[in-house]
Amino acid sequence: MNLSVTDHLFTLAIIMFFAGACFGLLFCKKHRAANTLSNLFCMAGSAMGTISVVFHLLKGGGPVTVLNSVPGIPNFSLQLKYDNLSAYFLLVLFILTFAVSLYSIGYISHYYGKRNVGIFNFLYCTFILSMMMVMLAGNLLTFFIAWELMSVVSYFLVVFEHERSENVKAGTVYIIMTHLGAALIMIAFMIMNVLTGETSIIGNGAFFTALPEAAKNACFLLLLVGFGTKAGIIPFHIWLPKAHPAASSNISALMSGFMIKTAIYGIVRFIICGFGGIKTWWGMTILILGIVAAVLGVAYALMEHNIKRLLAFHSIENIGIIFIGLGMGMIAYSKEYYPIAAVAIAAALFHTLNHALFKGGLFLGAGAIQYATHTRDIEQLGGLIKKMPVTAVFVLCFSLAISAIVPFNGFVSEWLTYQSIFAFIPKGSLCINMISIIAAAALAFAGALAAVCFVKLFGISFLGLPRSEHAGEAKEVPPTMLGGMGILAALCLVAGLFPKIILNLLDKVLIETAALKIYPNLSGGTVPVFSGLTVSGNKMSMIAILAVILALIAATVPAVRIIGGKADSRKYGTWDCGFVEINERMQYTATGFSKPIRIVFRILFRPSRTLAVKGEHPKYYPDKMEYKVGTVSVFEKYFYDVIIRGLHRFSQRVKLSVQTGSIHMYLSYILVTVLALMLYSRLF
Amino acid sequence: MTTYMDIISLLILVSSFVLVANKKQTSYIKTFRIQSFLIALSMAAIGFRHFQQNGRIDAFILCALIIGLKVIYIPNLLNKTYDKVEHKVEKDFYLNIPILTLLACGIAVFVYFIVTGIGQFDNRDITMQVVNMVSVVLIGIFFMITRKKAIGQIVGFLVVENGIFGTAMFAAEGMPLIVDIGIFIDLLTGVLIMGLMVFRINDKFDSINTNKLKKLKG
Repeated sequence: MNLSVTDHLFTLAIIMFFAGACFGLLFCKKHRAANTLSNLFCMAGSAMGTISVVFHLLKGGGPVTVLNSVPGIPNFSLQLKYDNLSAYFLLVLFILTFAVSLYSIGYISHYYGKRNVGIFNFLYCTFILSMMMVMLAGNLLTFFIAWELMSVVSYFLVVFEHERSENVKAGTVYIIMTHLGAALIMIAFMIMNVLTGETSIIGNGAFFTALPEAAKNACFLLLLVGFGTKAGIIPFHIWLPKAHPAASSNISALMSGFMIKTAIYGIVRFIICGFGGIKTWWGMTILILGIVAAVLGVAYALMEHNIKRLLAFHSIENIGIIFIGLGMGMIAYSKEYYPIAAVAIAAALFHTLNHALFKGGLFLGAGAIQYATHTRDIEQLGGLIKKMPVTAVFVLCFSLAISAIVPFNGFVSEWLTYQSIFAFIPKGSLCINMISIIAAAALAFAGALAAVCFVKLFGISFLGLPRSEHAGEAKEVPPTMLGGMGILAALCLVAGLFPKIILNLLDKVLIETAALKIYPNLSGGTVPVFSGLTVSGNKMSMIAILAVILALIAATVPAVRIIGGKADSRKYGTWDCGFVEINERMQYTATGFSKPIRIVFRILFRPSRTLAVKGEHPKYYPDKMEYKVGTVSVFEKYFYDVIIRGLHRFSQRVKLSVQTGSIHMYLSYILVTVLALMLYSRLF
Repeated sequence: MTTYMDIISLLILVSSFVLVANKKQTSYIKTFRIQSFLIALSMAAIGFRHFQQNGRIDAFILCALIIGLKVIYIPNLLNKTYDKVEHKVEKDFYLNIPILTLLACGIAVFVYFIVTGIGQFDNRDITMQVVNMVSVVLIGIFFMITRKKAIGQIVGFLVVENGIFGTAMFAAEGMPLIVDIGIFIDLLTGVLIMGLMVFRINDKFDSINTNKLKKLKG
C-alpha cells in the first residue's frame, strides 16, 4: 500500500478531530480552555482534511484505504476508504466544519459557566467524526455503524438543552424518524448482501449488479425512504423543523449543512453507482419527490417566524432542488443521454456544496442574531443592520445565494439544473416531458418564493426599528463568529463567480463513479476558470453578469443624479397621522408580509385567525385587541397523527386482551407455546 | 428391570392424573407426596443398578434427598402454610373434574404422538418412559392453569419439576450429582419464597385466590 503525503495528512486530520474530542473532555472543568482547544483542533483537522481531499481529487488514482481492520469475528470488518465521490463530500464537510469551528470559539461562550462545555465539544467532535465515517465507510457494515453513530450523536446534540420540554420532544421525534429510516436502510443492505454476497461499497464498478430486478426495485424504494427520512423529503420531513431549532446554532449549521446531505451521498453511492443501471421510474420518483419538497418546503418556510424553523424548512426546499437534479440525471442516464445526465447530477452535487455553504452560513447568522438578541422570533427583531452591520452584510450574502441571485453560488447550480431540464425536454417522451416542465416551473416557483421569504427574513429582522428591547440593545458579535460567517460568505461568492473550480472537481467525481463526463458538453474543455459555462448552446458567464451589474449600478447612480438634479433637503415636521411619533409598531410585520402567500396556499396551511377585542364595552371602547393567526401542519394532522392514533388504539387493545394480569392466562400462553413448538418439531 | 421402571413411570403419570382429579387442596399435597415417593423409588432402582455395576452410591444420596425434601419437608411445609391461611372451602377449579381429566388424557396422547415421532430415542423402552414423564411436565402446567388458589399453583410447579427431573432420570439415568443437588437447592428456595408469597397474598386480598392478582395490573 503506497500512501502519499496527502493521504497521511488525511489520517492526521482524523487524529486532530479525535484530539479535539479528548481535549474537550479533559478540560471539561475549564470551559474556555476546553472550547478553544477543541475547536482549534477541529479547525486544524478541517484544514488538513481539505488539503488532502483536494489533492486527492486533483491527482486522482483510485480509492485510498485509510483503515482496514479485520477482527476475528466472521462477516465483520471495519473498512475506511475514500474515492472521489467521498472526497468531494468530505471537502464539503471540511469547509463547513472549518468555518463552524471558528464560529463556535465565540458562539459557545454563552454556555460558559452554565453548561458542560466539555461534553458539548466532545459530542461536536464526535459528530464530525461520525459524519466523516459515513463518507469513509468502505463496506455495508461500516456504513451502517457510522450511520447509526451519526444519528445517536446528533440526537444527544439536539437534546443538549434538555430542560426545555420542546427540545426533548423534538429529539424524540428525531430519533424515532431516523431509526425508522435506518431500519429500512438495514433491510435494503441485508437484501443486497444476501442476494449478492457482496459487502464492499467503495471500489471500481458497481457492486450490486447481480441483484434480481425485483430486489433492485425493492432496495431502491427502501433506500429512498430510508435516506429520504434523513434528507427530510416530504412527507418524512417532520423531524427536521423540530430538531434544527432545538439544537444550538453551530450544530444546526452542521446538521442542515451536511448531515442531511449524507442522505444524498447514500443515494448517489447506492442507487446511482451501486446497482449498475438505473430505471426511468426511479428517476421519475426522485424527481417528483424533489418537486414536492421544493415547493412545499419553501411554502411552509414562508409561514414561519422562528428564524431557525424557517431555515429548516428551506433545507427541505433545497433538498428538493438537489433531488430534482438527481432525478433528472437519473432519467437522462436511464435513457442513455449521458452528457445531460452528467450535467444534471453535477448540478445536484454542486447544489449540495452550495447549500452547505449558504445554509450553514444562514444558521450561523441565526445563531449570531440569537447570541446578540436572545430571541429567534423575527417579530421581536428589527433594526439590526445598524447594530450588527457586518453580520447583516453576511446574512444578506447568504440570503442572496439561497434565493439564487447572481453573482452568488446558488444561481449557478440552479442554472445548471434548469439547463439539464431544458436540454432533456426535446428528447424525452410525453410523460417525462410533462414532469420535466413541471419540475422547471417548480424550480422557478420555489426560487421566487425563497426570494420572498428572505426579503421577509432580512427586511423584518435587519431593517426598520427594533421591535423589542433585546433587539434595541443588540451588539455586534465577537470576531471569531464573524470570521466563521465571513469564510462561508466569501466562498459563496467565489463558488458563484468561478463555478468551474467546482465543476472541475465534479468532473473527476463523475468520471470515476458513474463514467459520466461533464466537460465534453460544457464548452471550454480544459480548465479556464474565468470562462463562461455553456450547456447545449446556452451560454452563461458569471463574471460577465457581474460586470454588467456593476456597470449598470455605475451608470444608474450618476444618471439619477443628472436627471433628478441635486437633491436639496429642508427640515420640516412631517404629518404623522395624528400620532406623536413614528414607532416600531407602525412597521410591517412578518405575519403581514406573508399574508398573500397564506391566502394563495390556503389549502395547504388551513389558516385560522381570531380577533379578540377586550374591554368594558368592547364594541365601542376596545381596550386591547388580540389578533392571532394560526396554520395547521397538514402532514402531521392527516398523516402522522392518524398513524399514531391507530397504533395507540391497537396497542391499547392488545394490552387489554393479551396482558390481562391473570396468572392463569400467562401460564396458558406458556403451555400453548410449548405445545405448538412440540407440534412444529414433529411436523416439520 | 425395564418392566419395573415402566411400571413406576406409569404410576407417576397416573399420580398426575389423580392430581388433576383432586378436589381438596390437602389432597393435592398428599398426591404430590405419593408422586415424589414414586420418583424416589425409581431413583433407588437406578441406584441399585449403579451400585451393582460400578459401586457408585450417587443415586442413593439423591434418593435420600428426594425422600427428605419432596416426600417429607416440602409437603409438611405446604400443609402448615395451608393451615395458616385457608379456612374457606370453595370450588378451586375452572372446569369440572371429568373434563379436566379428559384434557389431561389428551395431553398424554399428544405427547405420545410428538415424542415417538422425534426419532432420537432408539431404545423403545426409554421412549415409553420419556412419554410418560413429558406428559407429567405438561399436565403439571395444565394443573397450574386450572386451579385458582396459590397452593394449587405451587403443587403444579413442583409437579412440573418432578416431571423434568423424571425425564432426565429415565432418559439418561440421572444427571451428575452436583447438578441435581443444585436443582434441589433451587427448588427449596423457590418453595420457601412461594410460601412467603402465599402469606403476602393472603394478607393483601384476604384469600389465596391468584385470580385476584389481576388487581395488581397497572
